[in-house]
Amino acid sequence: MANKRPFTDILAESMPKLVLAPSFLIVMVCVYGYILWTIALSFTKSRMLPQWKFVGFDQYSKLFNNDRWSVSSENLIVFGGLFILICLALGIFMAILLDQKIRQEGFLRTIYLYPMAISFIVTGTAWKWLLNPSIGIENVVRDWGFTDFTFDWLVNSEMVVFCLVIAAVWQSSGFVMALFLAGLRGVDSEMIKAAQLDGASMSTIYRRIILPSLKPVFFSAFVILSHIAIKSFDLVTALTGGGPGYSSDLPANFMYSYAFTRSQMGLGAASGVIMLGGVLAILIPYLYSELRNKEAR
Amino acid sequence: MSSHSLNNQQRSFVQKLLRVALYTILIFMAAVYLLPLFVMVLNSLKDMEEIRSGNLLALPQDPSFAAWAKAWGSACTGSTCEGIAPFFANSFKIVIPAVIISTLLGALNGYVLSMWRFRGSELFFGLLLFGCFIPFQVILIPMAMTLGWLGLASSASGLILVHVIYGIAFTTLFFRNYYIALPRELISAAKIDGAGFFLIFWRIVLPLSPPIIVVTVIWQFTQVWNDFLFGVVFSGVDNLPITVALNNLVNTSFGGKEYNVDMAAALLAALPTILVYIFAGKYFVRGLSAGAVKGA
Amino acid sequence: MAALTIDNVKKSYGPTQVLKGINIAIEKGEFLVLIGPSGCGKSTMMNSIAGLESVTEGRILIGGEDVTHANPKDRDIAMVFQSYALYPNMTVRGNISFGLEVRKMPKAEREVQVDKVAKLLQIEHLLDRKPAQLSGGQRQRVAMGRALAREPKIYLFDEPLSNLDAKLRVEMRAEIKKLHQRLGTTIVYVTHDQIEAMTLADRIAVMKDGVLLQLATPQQIYDTPANIFVAGFMGSPAMNFIEATLVNESCVSIQGDGQILELPLLKNESNQPYIGKKVILGIRPEMITEPLSHKQDEECVKVVTLKAMLTEAMGADTMVLTTLADKEISCRINPSYKVSIGEQCEFMFDMSKAVLFDPESENLI
Repeated sequence: MANKRPFTDILAESMPKLVLAPSFLIVMVCVYGYILWTIALSFTKSRMLPQWKFVGFDQYSKLFNNDRWSVSSENLIVFGGLFILICLALGIFMAILLDQKIRQEGFLRTIYLYPMAISFIVTGTAWKWLLNPSIGIENVVRDWGFTDFTFDWLVNSEMVVFCLVIAAVWQSSGFVMALFLAGLRGVDSEMIKAAQLDGASMSTIYRRIILPSLKPVFFSAFVILSHIAIKSFDLVTALTGGGPGYSSDLPANFMYSYAFTRSQMGLGAASGVIMLGGVLAILIPYLYSELRNKEAR
Repeated sequence: MSSHSLNNQQRSFVQKLLRVALYTILIFMAAVYLLPLFVMVLNSLKDMEEIRSGNLLALPQDPSFAAWAKAWGSACTGSTCEGIAPFFANSFKIVIPAVIISTLLGALNGYVLSMWRFRGSELFFGLLLFGCFIPFQVILIPMAMTLGWLGLASSASGLILVHVIYGIAFTTLFFRNYYIALPRELISAAKIDGAGFFLIFWRIVLPLSPPIIVVTVIWQFTQVWNDFLFGVVFSGVDNLPITVALNNLVNTSFGGKEYNVDMAAALLAALPTILVYIFAGKYFVRGLSAGAVKGA
Repeated sequence: MAALTIDNVKKSYGPTQVLKGINIAIEKGEFLVLIGPSGCGKSTMMNSIAGLESVTEGRILIGGEDVTHANPKDRDIAMVFQSYALYPNMTVRGNISFGLEVRKMPKAEREVQVDKVAKLLQIEHLLDRKPAQLSGGQRQRVAMGRALAREPKIYLFDEPLSNLDAKLRVEMRAEIKKLHQRLGTTIVYVTHDQIEAMTLADRIAVMKDGVLLQLATPQQIYDTPANIFVAGFMGSPAMNFIEATLVNESCVSIQGDGQILELPLLKNESNQPYIGKKVILGIRPEMITEPLSHKQDEECVKVVTLKAMLTEAMGADTMVLTTLADKEISCRINPSYKVSIGEQCEFMFDMSKAVLFDPESENLI
């Protein structure tokens, strides 16, 4: 039966697979293959060039004893935590405000959103200047007569990480706002009418009905934001250069500098693997809940 | 009766007050979001003397585009002093092919994954989706080695390839989520009418795709234009993209800081994506938020 | 030779079997309606005929040729979809001629064909519009035009009228009937609307849970349904089912409320094994009316006094809900016959078309 079928038919039937094949190959090699490759490298003593001498977990123990790595991972926790929290809070807040039948909503939304179009390098450059004590905000406020005003976080190794938070929130909160606004617009208006007839106040309606129904948006925003936080590399490079010293380094910067400028390939690979682990720790519960929801539906 | 109407009056007064507060907050927030852009534009029009002595919120006394001209044509970025113009061209040389190829592949992949599903295609979609989320640090070293073997290290084509490879996860996601909402019966009707895989794509599906093409092209354009990591790792001296050049320019301490030139250069680097956003952002936000809310 | 033969077709998705061995043969020019509740497999059957889904077992023959594994384009069929599935980016003309174009018909011939179909369906003035500019009824016509243009061996209609409003649906139903009579086309038509099935079909195939329950003419299905499901599914309001005992070949008794009511039956050989046993009596509402003097003397007619519970005026008739042996029975009476709710009234049972079912197998006796 199968032999009798003309070749053109068989070709036509396998066309979808043929079209998908290059992408399949790319994904398998350049995502999964490379991840395995990096994992393998992280167990070798590779420096400038790969050397396939396996040293077990040496690079990992070196990594966790490296002060710069501990600073950068602590920074990530502080930066990531605050960045996500503030973006979510600000995003929900502004989305709710914008949802009150505002005149010129489109115009305001555009203003809140435009930083999203800008690269982190430009954002970093702009805020580097605003946060610079000698010419930026500190200088302006002193100019206004508050001569004791100090705002020197950018050069203070204790506070510099909060500068990253400010710039990153400025860039990304508008996007979160747009996500939530789209979610709010998607809430069934009859449900809200029913709650109003039940005598619920607007704040109760938001708290008890609308926000809980935005759980999926909340999840999506969380995953996107944590993804941005973990791969934040350009912002640090442009805003602080990792300084003062290495006090504002993030893991992404650590990885780059060890793998590509300090010829410590094995250590760089190990740090990349740990970063992947961090992403997976967030992603897997998310995907799990998504799948479970899909099945429940 | 009278007390009731007073009550109503009070209530409407409170409502009015709330409205005023609402608009105040919204306008204040808008000002905060606009501040960096405003300051950059303002100070790129000043000369260094005015910046050093004055207030960064002050209007320029004698606005001039001298800093812009310097940023464009003669500022030093690392080793060369030709402004950012050549890097602007480099970025376009990388962005245009990368966007076109990754969008095309995304459209074809999305078409297969939504309308020609086969055993295992959903699994592939899941595997692909994961590619949206990996931190690129975990693939940088092998990619650098591969490009070396292919003889593409430090070349524009190598950078294009990297952007295409790590762009298709997103482009496929966009197209797949868009196509999955198209009625399946449309494809059945075309099959019965006798059309095959590519004919259906070309004559039925692609003509319905402009909204999602706009979203994907804008997304990819912003991603590739704004990329710094791949640029700094994979590009050579001859084809540095604009973001890397800007960073070099800002961090070149050669001959003292010229903040006005830095600001002008940063604005120039941001200009293409801001323009795209202003002219087509409406479609983008509509598509992206819808896709992200239900899809990702 | 049959135009379409469905030979023991089975279809499974994993462990769930959605078609459990369907056998149907359709003659050229026949109008077959597939009907059943949602999930009965009728749409799967339709898609299998079209080649949009593959079958697990069995064969499908079109014009005697085995097309079980052929692509949709090689089956010489056309399909009208529930959502019409018009190509939104093409004009009406483009929609109708697309299939011809794909099949490489020369342009001049295509134009002749499009004009012919457009005239037939009275959509000439719409040819240069896009689907979005058309009303529901107009889209429906274009969808039919697209099918007609190709002049295929078999037309498949997948619930084509279910997206139209009630009035338009009746109009289009008549239109489809007229087209069928005029063109003599072979049609397989899926619907869940039993009025559509009754009015359009030459033969009706009633399906449930992947099984073909009965394949017969509309009148046969209506008068002698193969089982309780078919009897209840076809006809509105539905047939009354009453538990009864078969007294002898020509009499059933109904017990309840401390009463025993005996009703006459037409003599039927096949009743014999059930004498003295429980049966289910099926009688359609229109066979229970006000007493009619010209019929009262007929063999299978009996006047009974029942209590009226509810009346529903439908204009031409009035439906009365009564109780008999604790069961609700609906009757169809002339509006001029006055019935007061809660009162005992006389009703006439015409048992000539009553049917009996086996209470175990639920099949017709």
